[in-house]
Amino acid sequence: MKNKRGDKVISIYWFVILLLVAGAMVYMVSVVYGGPYDVRKIEASLLTDKIADCMASGGRFVSAMPGKLNSDNLLQECHINFNNEEYSVWNNDQFYVEINVYFFGTKNPKIPTIKAGNFQLKDFCGQEGKTLSLCLDRSFYVLENQGNQAYEVNIISIVRKTEKNAV
Amino acid sequence: MRCLINKKGSSLLTENVIFIVLNVVFFVILIIFLFSRAGDAAQYEEKYAKQIALLIDAAKPETMFDLNMQDAVDIAIKEGYDPKQIVKIQDNVVTVKLRGEGKGYSYSFFNNVKTNEPYFMQNKPGFYRFVVEGYK
Repeated sequence: MKNKRGDKVISIYWFVILLLVAGAMVYMVSVVYGGPYDVRKIEASLLTDKIADCMASGGRFVSAMPGKLNSDNLLQECHINFNNEEYSVWNNDQFYVEINVYFFGTKNPKIPTIKAGNFQLKDFCGQEGKTLSLCLDRSFYVLENQGNQAYEVNIISIVRKTEKNAV
Repeated sequence: MRCLINKKGSSLLTENVIFIVLNVVFFVILIIFLFSRAGDAAQYEEKYAKQIALLIDAAKPETMFDLNMQDAVDIAIKEGYDPKQIVKIQDNVVTVKLRGEGKGYSYSFFNNVKTNEPYFMQNKPGFYRFVVEGYK
């Protein structure tokens, strides 16, 4: 009689453990497989690399850079296409790029700021939140094409695509 | 007395059998759930669409790459879908589809390049070949 009651207690205890284990597994699987893969950081990084490659090579500005670059021709000159797939209310407005070129060691701009894409995305930079746009701010130093004048190039790349990466 | 022992033994046996059956059922359901989530066609569609889009973003003109998509091909075959039709690239949008129903998963790339129609390699089963020709 004593053993039988003990068995029953063990059975209930066993099922409680099973439920806890199952709950933990379902939760972990949902976390791993439930949400989309977030590739925006890689995407923003590739965008930054592409612009940097477009402007400079081997530590120097490529010919006629950065002077020939402006907000109107950035996408064409650097072979970038901000069109996106048909999805939700997206309207080719999921990217933003901003480039500043400063004289080395100062914040004096060499050329006016170059911008392309949806400028409203920049408002979310610096704010915390998984469902906000992803901002990547990178700088590099470069010499002029012919000569030894050094510059700092700052590139801010922003990718939204929140619905497909973070929700 | 003998009858009482048998009754007790039979009751104990039934309890244990029910207990074991419930455990087995529980674990089977759990394993089915885990495998169904891990091997979900939609997961693979998303994974490969994004992977291909990023590879194209990173590619320079005149780049060729072969991508092993064996697991996606296996799912497409299981779903009765032609493995040669898995990947499509239209303008700057990659679409991966592994099932007859649905539109598949699409993801855009920003690199403004011309790409050849991706093709399913006969001599390298499970691989798709992508060729980035040049800038548009």
